[in-house]
Amino acid sequence: MMLKRLPYTLLFILITMWVMMGQLRPFLLETAQLTPFLTTQVFAQEMMAQHTGGWLLYVASFLQSCLACPWLGASLLVLLLLGIAHATRWVLHLPDSCFGLCFVVPFLLLVRYTRMGYEIYVNKEVAVAFALPLFVLLILVALGLISVVVRAFMKRKQTSRCMTKGFRLTLFILSSIVFVGSAYWFWTQTYRDSNFLASLQMKQACEKDDWERVLQIARENDKEPTRLQVCLTRLALYETGEMGNLLFAYPDGAAAYNTPEQNQWLRLMGAQLLYEHYGKTGFAYRWAMEDMVEYGERPMYLRTLYRVALLNGEKALSEKYRQALNHTLFFKEDAVDMERQSAAVKPLLNYTDQLDGDNGLIEFYLLQSFALTEGGSRQMVELSLMCSLITKHLDGFWQRFMALLPGWNGHIPTHYQEAALMVAQLQGGMDIDQLPIDPPVRQRFERLVEASARMGDSSNNAYALHSEFGNTYWYYYFFVEGLKTT
Amino acid sequence: MLLASCKPSLPQQAEEAERMAQVMPNNDGATLPPNIAPLNFEIQEDGDAFVTRLSSRSGEELVVGGRTIDIPLADWQRLLSAAVGDTLWTDVYVRKGNRWRHFNRIANPVVADSIDPFITYRLIRPSYVMYEELSLVERCTENFDERILYNNMAMSKGDKGQCINCHVPQQQGQRGRSQFHVRQAFGGTVFVDGKEAHKVNLKTDSTLSAGVYPAWHPTLNLIAYSVNETGQSFHTLDPQKIEVIDYASDLILYDAERNEVTSIERTASDFESFPTWSPDGRTLYYISAHHELQGESIDADLDQNYQSLHYNIYARDFDATKRKFGTRRLVFDAEALGKSASTPRVSPDGRWLLFSLADYGQFHIWHRSADLCAIPLQHPENIEQLKQLNSSESDSYHSWSSNGRWILFSSRRMDGNYTRLYLSYFDTSGNAHRPLLLPQRSPVFYDQFFRSFNAAEWMTQSFGPDRNTLDACIRRDAQQAKYAGSALLVPEASETAPDTKITKQNYHNIYESN
Repeated sequence: MMLKRLPYTLLFILITMWVMMGQLRPFLLETAQLTPFLTTQVFAQEMMAQHTGGWLLYVASFLQSCLACPWLGASLLVLLLLGIAHATRWVLHLPDSCFGLCFVVPFLLLVRYTRMGYEIYVNKEVAVAFALPLFVLLILVALGLISVVVRAFMKRKQTSRCMTKGFRLTLFILSSIVFVGSAYWFWTQTYRDSNFLASLQMKQACEKDDWERVLQIARENDKEPTRLQVCLTRLALYETGEMGNLLFAYPDGAAAYNTPEQNQWLRLMGAQLLYEHYGKTGFAYRWAMEDMVEYGERPMYLRTLYRVALLNGEKALSEKYRQALNHTLFFKEDAVDMERQSAAVKPLLNYTDQLDGDNGLIEFYLLQSFALTEGGSRQMVELSLMCSLITKHLDGFWQRFMALLPGWNGHIPTHYQEAALMVAQLQGGMDIDQLPIDPPVRQRFERLVEASARMGDSSNNAYALHSEFGNTYWYYYFFVEGLKTT
Repeated sequence: MLLASCKPSLPQQAEEAERMAQVMPNNDGATLPPNIAPLNFEIQEDGDAFVTRLSSRSGEELVVGGRTIDIPLADWQRLLSAAVGDTLWTDVYVRKGNRWRHFNRIANPVVADSIDPFITYRLIRPSYVMYEELSLVERCTENFDERILYNNMAMSKGDKGQCINCHVPQQQGQRGRSQFHVRQAFGGTVFVDGKEAHKVNLKTDSTLSAGVYPAWHPTLNLIAYSVNETGQSFHTLDPQKIEVIDYASDLILYDAERNEVTSIERTASDFESFPTWSPDGRTLYYISAHHELQGESIDADLDQNYQSLHYNIYARDFDATKRKFGTRRLVFDAEALGKSASTPRVSPDGRWLLFSLADYGQFHIWHRSADLCAIPLQHPENIEQLKQLNSSESDSYHSWSSNGRWILFSSRRMDGNYTRLYLSYFDTSGNAHRPLLLPQRSPVFYDQFFRSFNAAEWMTQSFGPDRNTLDACIRRDAQQAKYAGSALLVPEASETAPDTKITKQNYHNIYESN
C-alpha cells in the first residue's frame, strides 16, 4: 500500500526541494534572518501572552529559524507538508488511487510562503512558512483521532468499498492531473524574480563581507539592476578599493522592483547595511530600531543594533544585543570577530555629529551627505569625491582630488583621471599636464572630444558613444541624465 | 527526611573572596521599603554549587540554594518585617571544586516608610518615529502581579494605528481619577473617575495641539497641560541618538466640570512645558525656555541650535475660586548654570521641588547628562545634586509616592538605551538614598526585555475601569472641549497667537491628536 503512495511522496519532495534549494535558497536564508526566535524565557512568555495559540507559533518560529540552514529548514517544511498530505488521506479515508489529491493543500500552503517575494520584509504574520502548516497538521491529526475514537466507541466495522479496476484507474488519473496541476501552479506562483533573488544574494554576501561575490553577482546579472543592487555594488566597490577604477563600468539602472510600493524596498533591505558600512551609525541604528518596533526582534535588526552599539563604544548595550543573538539558533556573534570588522568602518566616523533626517531616501541622503562633506579621513574624502562626481557637483573637485593625490602614489584611479581631464576641460584652472594621467585615458578623452565636436553632445548620441565610452565617467556625466536615487 | 536532606545548608568553612559577588541585578546598598516584592537575583559567578543566606539582626534568616535566588513571597515578607529599621543582609557562598568562597556581604537598609502598592507605566520600545505595540500597564509593587490596562492594538492596527501615552493620576490615584491620551485612531484624552471613563478632544482652534503633558490639580477637577508642536531629529553619530524638540509650546488649563480650555501661557518665543501643581493647589510650576527665531523656519533654526535651548523653572500662583493665574515668577534659573531643567514635581509635603537637569533641552530621557536634582522651595538657591541616586546615563522622569518618602524614576543606567524603573528613598533631611531596581520575578528579565518602562507613576489604588469600559469609551466619539479665553487674572501684553512656521519635510507633530 505504501508503495502506491511513494511516487507522489517522492515527486513532491523532488519538486519542492528543487524549487526551494535550487532557486529560493537566498529567500530561505533571508526568511530565517527575518524570523524572530530567541531561546529566552522573556521571548517565550511574550509569545504566549501576545498571541492566541502562542505555543504553536513558538514552535513554528523555532522551525522557521532553521531556514538559516536551508537544507534543514526546507526539509522540515517538506516533512511537515508531507505530514499534512498523509494526514489528509488518513482523515478522509481516501484510497491510494486518490492520494494525489492530498497534495493540493500542501502545495497551497507552500505557495502562500514562496510567492511572497519582497513582502517577506513587511509581513507581520508570525512564522509565515510554518505556522499555518503546523496548525493544519494538528487539526487533521485531531480530527483523525476523534474519528478513530468515535469509530471505536460505535464499534462499527469498516466496510471495504468495492471499486472496479476502471473506476480506480479513473480516480488515479484524475488525482494525478490534480497533483500535476497543483505542482504547476506552485511553480508558476512561486516568486522567482531574478533581480529580487540577486539582491538577496548580494545583501547576504555583504553581510559576510564577501565583496568579491557581490561584484560577481552584479556582473553576472543580465537584467537592468534596481537601485538597491546599484547601491550594494557601489558599496562593494568602495570596500574593495575599486570605486575609483570601476564604479562607472558596472551596470547602472533603476529597474522597478517587481512588486507594488516601489519606494520602500531599498530602505527595508539595504538601509541598515549601507548606513553601517558608510559610517552613518545613528541612522543604521535608527532604522534597525524602527523595524524592530514594527516587526519584532528579527536577527537582522539585532545584528545591526549590536554592531552599531559596538562602534559607538556602548559596551553594556552591545552586550545586551550580543546576548540576544546568542539566544538565536543560528545567528550567534563572535565579539572578537565583530571588533575586527568594525575597524573597517571607523575611518568613516571621523566627522562632526549633526541632527538630520533622511525621509526614507537612503541613497539620496548618502550621496548628498558625502558630496557636501569637507575633510575627514582619506576614505571620507574619497567618498566625498566620488559622491560629488555621481551627483555631478564638481565645485569642490580639485580640492578633494589634490588632497587624495599623494596617497595614490603616482597612479590615479581611472575614473578620477577621467574626471580630472573633463573638469580641466570644462572649468580650466588646472595644468593637466602636471598630473600623471595614463596615455590611454588621455587618448580616449581626445577621441571623445573629437567625436563630440563631430557629432554634437546631444543625448541622441548616447547610443553611438556607448560602446566606446559607456564605462567612463564622461559618459555618465554627459549622457546619464537625472539621478535615479531613492 | 527527604525535605531535610534537600534543604541547603551553609558551608562549614569558606574562604573570604574579599569582593562582592557578581549578581544580577545588583541592589547592594539600596534602601528597601517594608513592602517591596522579593529581590530575586542570579549569581553570575563561576561555580559548582551556590548557597545564599538572607538574614537580619533579629535572627530571622532564609537559606536558599542554587544560582537563581527565587524568594517565596511569604518568606520575603517575614524577613523584611524583621529587618525594618535595620539592615537586610545577603551572604553569597560559591563552591568551585572543593573550595567554598564567601563573598562580601550585600547590605540593604530597610526603612519603615512604605511605598504605594501600585505603579503604572507604558511599555514601549525605545523607538524613533514608528510605533507598534504599546501597552499601559499596572504593576503591584508588593508582588509581581502585572495587569495590562490598555493595549493600543486592541482595536486599531496598521495604518489606523493608535498611540497611547501619559497615564497620570490625580494625587497618586488617591481620588480615583486619572487620565491618558489616545492619539491617531479614536484619538482623545481619556478621563477616568472610579470605574467610569469618558473621552474628550482637548484640541481647539485657539491652541497649538491637544493636551500633552498633564498635571492634575491635587483636589479640584482641573488639569493643566502643555500643548506642544513637537518633532524629532536624529543624530548621525552621537549615541544619544534622538533629539525631541518642541518647536512651540504653551500651557492650558482644562476645567473638566465645565469642559473648557483656557490659556495659561500663549507666547511664540517662550516654550513652556511640563506643568505641575504644588500639593496645596495654589501654585503651578512649569518649565520655559526663551528663544528668538533666527531665520525663516523654527525647525531649521532649532535643529541647528537645539543645544541653546535652556529651560528654567517658573511658577504662577493660582486663585482656585476665580480659577485664574497670577503673574509668572522665576523659581530656578537653570540657564544661569548653563543647564536646562525639566519635569519639575513638588513633594507631597510641599518642601521639595524635584526635577531633571541636563545640558540642554527638555526631553531628557535621551540626554546622558540628565540627572535628578532637588531644591528646597524655601531656599531654591540650594540645589541638591542627589548623587546617591544618579548615574552616568540618563536619569529622568520621576514621581513622588503619596507619603513623599519614595521617588520612582526612570534611568538608562543598565545599558544606556532601555529605560528601567528605580525606587529611591528620600529621607526627611532631603537625602536621596541608593536606588533599587524595580524587582522582577526573573532576575535576568531586564537583560532579555527589549522594551522601555515609560512615564511611570505611583498609584495608591488600582486603576478603576475594566477593559470593556475602556474599549467602549475609546470607541465613542470624543466630547469636544470649548475654548474660553485666558486663564490669567491680567492677560499679558506678550500673549500672542501661535505663529510657528514649520518647514520640515514630512513633519508631523508627535502629539497631534485627532
